[in-house]
Amino acid sequence: MGKGNDRKRTFLLITIPVVVLFFVFNTLPLIKGFIYSFTNFKGYGSYEWVGLRNYIDLFGDARVGRSYLFTFKYAIVCTIIVNIISLILALGLNGRIKFKSALRGIYFLPNVLGGLVVGYIFSFIFTYILPAVGTAIGSDFLSRNMLSSTSTAWFAIVIVGAWQSVAMNTIIYISGLQTVPEDVYEAGSLDGATGWKKFRHLTFPLIIPFFTINMVLCMKNFLMVFDQIMALTKGGPAQSTESISYLIYQNGMSGGQFGFQSANAVVFFVVIVAVSVFQLSASSKKEEQL
Amino acid sequence: MENQDTKKVSWPITILLILGCVTIFFPLYMAVVIALKQPSEMTNDIMGALALPSSFSLSNFAEAMRVTDFWNSLGNSLIISVAAVGLSVLIHSIAGYAIGRSMADSKAYKFVYLYIVSGMFVPFAILMMPLVKQTSQMGIGNMAGVIILYIVFYMPMNLMLYTGYLKNIPIALEEAARVDGASTWKTYWNILFPIMKPMHATVAVLTVLGTWNDVMTPLVIMSGTGRNTLPLAQLTFQTQFGTNYNLAFASYLLALIPIVIFYLICQKQILNGVVNGAVK
Amino acid sequence: MKRKKASAVWKAAAVVAAGLFLTGCGSSSTQDGKTVIELVQYKPEAVKAFEAIEARFNETHDDILLKIESPNDAMTILKTRFIKEDAPDIIGIGGDVNYSNFLDSEMLMDISDFDGLASIKQAYLDIDKNLEFVPTEGTYAVPYVANAAGILYNRDMFEENGWEIPETWTEFLELCETIQASGQLPLYFGFKDTWTCLAPWNAICVDLAPADICAQVNRGEATFTEAYREAAEKIYELLQYAQNDPYGYSYNDACTAFARGESAMYVIGSYAVPQILSVNPEMNVDSFVFPASDDPDENQLNSGVDLQFSVMADCENKEAAYEVLRFLLEDESIQAYLDDQNAVPCKEGDFELPSMLDGMKSFIEEGRMADYQDHYYPSEMSVDAIIQTYLMDGDIEAFLTRFDTDWVRYNRDIIRKVQKYQEENGGN
Repeated sequence: MGKGNDRKRTFLLITIPVVVLFFVFNTLPLIKGFIYSFTNFKGYGSYEWVGLRNYIDLFGDARVGRSYLFTFKYAIVCTIIVNIISLILALGLNGRIKFKSALRGIYFLPNVLGGLVVGYIFSFIFTYILPAVGTAIGSDFLSRNMLSSTSTAWFAIVIVGAWQSVAMNTIIYISGLQTVPEDVYEAGSLDGATGWKKFRHLTFPLIIPFFTINMVLCMKNFLMVFDQIMALTKGGPAQSTESISYLIYQNGMSGGQFGFQSANAVVFFVVIVAVSVFQLSASSKKEEQL
Repeated sequence: MENQDTKKVSWPITILLILGCVTIFFPLYMAVVIALKQPSEMTNDIMGALALPSSFSLSNFAEAMRVTDFWNSLGNSLIISVAAVGLSVLIHSIAGYAIGRSMADSKAYKFVYLYIVSGMFVPFAILMMPLVKQTSQMGIGNMAGVIILYIVFYMPMNLMLYTGYLKNIPIALEEAARVDGASTWKTYWNILFPIMKPMHATVAVLTVLGTWNDVMTPLVIMSGTGRNTLPLAQLTFQTQFGTNYNLAFASYLLALIPIVIFYLICQKQILNGVVNGAVK
Repeated sequence: MKRKKASAVWKAAAVVAAGLFLTGCGSSSTQDGKTVIELVQYKPEAVKAFEAIEARFNETHDDILLKIESPNDAMTILKTRFIKEDAPDIIGIGGDVNYSNFLDSEMLMDISDFDGLASIKQAYLDIDKNLEFVPTEGTYAVPYVANAAGILYNRDMFEENGWEIPETWTEFLELCETIQASGQLPLYFGFKDTWTCLAPWNAICVDLAPADICAQVNRGEATFTEAYREAAEKIYELLQYAQNDPYGYSYNDACTAFARGESAMYVIGSYAVPQILSVNPEMNVDSFVFPASDDPDENQLNSGVDLQFSVMADCENKEAAYEVLRFLLEDESIQAYLDDQNAVPCKEGDFELPSMLDGMKSFIEEGRMADYQDHYYPSEMSVDAIIQTYLMDGDIEAFLTRFDTDWVRYNRDIIRKVQKYQEENGGN
């Protein structure tokens, strides 16, 4: 009984300072930002209260609407692609292969590069290398710079985003796969489970916590896509790749719309939390079923 | 593990994975080639772009080191990243332990968990301006402020990783220690902290990658302090009217080297540390 | 304690001779009694010129210590420092909407009593006056240098082929046809970098639209749909003379291509010349004014204030700040800057202009110029992207309508202010 109290007291003593720290540097500025969303603050100088005007404007603003559409399209496609590829890679890299550590090292490499650098390199490839290859093999589609057309630019950003994110997701999946006890496999192979079946019924249920982490992290990271946009398209062509974060930064910080974009950020925050809570509860239900 | 590998190597998978490496190396090859060339060697056709530079010269690297004040910037980046990662591992792991172990049967801890984790969805843009003002008023509009902010920014993700990992560590371990009379605090440091080593590695990798390449936070928080981080110095090349890609790519590669070294060290830990036995 | 630490940092920085990154502790004097004047200027590409100016100033002044910062992304840094209430003494920014906003927020000091203003060309002082949202008593900036935009051309290609500099829109189109017929490319665009769409737009608009169109619209006296229609039609026509897929290439790509002789002309500003010469140092570049009108007299040079200095309202040492401004305006300082940056001085006097501005010289001397239209556009409206959208879809009606509606949307508070001012002042 006394031990139980010690445990509870220790946990409380750990948790309180952590929560205070988090509150001061995350929640408090968030509240301040929320307050700014009711002003026409430019970021400097004097400002006035404008009530709900920013929020009303937000729902009638075509540019904001387009940025939501783009961001969600991007995030969903990217999340799916990245999770498929990184799960396959993780299975491969966790399998009985030669050069295991070297290969793992290589596949993780993209993740250590800054988003801007990767963006610049790919921008170069999309602009010069791919079109040249496209011309050489006579493909009309490839011979144009993917970044210059409103119908393909978003997918170019998907490619770059995925190229970088696969690494981290793979690492998380690998660390998940390694928590799968060897005897599960042994028991499984006695029952004759192989390949897809083994994965579906034995491996996958055990790594669901990692799947959850990956889905949520992916979705959240991709919904906040910024670096790639900055490096690849700066929202173009024709504003077709303006992500929400990009718009908030661009018009809120660099431009003079701090108040309005604060309102946008508040709504964006609510949307992201809603999406994530949905994901988490959906997958924890799934977890229970299995 | 070792003899399992040699027992039955799957060559098709190995070969596929090796071929896949091209997708990783090709862009990097381009970066190296660009970094070695001079602006006058840059061409708009495919063979010219792919070709190695006509003369091998590290002059771009030397110039990049000069322009970015490389060693000082590197030092600042190291201080920030090392401090942020070290403190993150200590603080977040113990927070993950306290919250993770308590939230199963406590609504309050469940709430705290969701409260902090939901913080990962707060767009940085909304926090930025209030944080600038706040850190300045608190007298931490400097590297210390940046470190504290990183600890807070990465708390949600790391907390989630640690609690996720703890779910797979049986509580029986702690109960055994408790029966032996160890305090919760001691149990944590003696038993759980070492067990979570693989997750420490992952957390360290993820945190350092985020902090090392981050530009915005140091840019706005440290403005006017006279200090520069390595990525901040990279901004030198992004001026609107005169981007010198050759120089910039040389500098990017320079900025990359320390983190690649870090990764190589930690990767070993991941491979050796993430053993099945961690859960037993 | 904090002061001590900050000055230690400063010393350390001085030791490494960083020069460009300074401590911002907001102190106005050093331990040895010197007044510190801090200047932040927004052109990082001019850092070397300013380092030289800083060194020379500090050598010749015992009582004032000048610190010049040329940060990257200076606008974000400046705004950040305003939030921190740690503003520098003097800011060097462009004559654009940021200036209008800072002025409107009452952050700048009235420097009407500064003696150096007398030597500044009236045309540039007028440009700054026009940037005020509502007419404001006083002077708030010293225009330092201007840049010019129009068409850069490859002099060697022109001479080899015997092409003439066009003076009217019709001549310009004929020239483009001739060049195209000879199998060469007349124009190259870097529209992947959205802001470059503004270069031809500005150059065309100064010839065809009233210089104060934005102020007219704010007063409710005009619409962009009418004022910009011709400019919109003409910018669209340029596309047929440029490379395929202009949205696939960036500013850098365009500079590189032009430097390599892949196109005969490049519609951009004089600021692009250093970048072009870095690719091809031997290139023979010259420029001419964009002839958007068929009446040669209507064509004007597109020139605006590229760099101007303002003293911040809360600067404690006005006299010392003026001394710095006086020093910056010395002919020697200006000439050093011009040589480094290919700029046009705003001060009266006999300066040596860069050779690539030869074709624009007469316009500069006659003062036949008008400010960049985009200096009046709020950056959050992203006019560059609106133009890019139009160039891609070619829908002129949608473009002009959107310009008018977005303008009202993004300038709502300013328009209200302007109209209130009009009511109070009998509508002028």
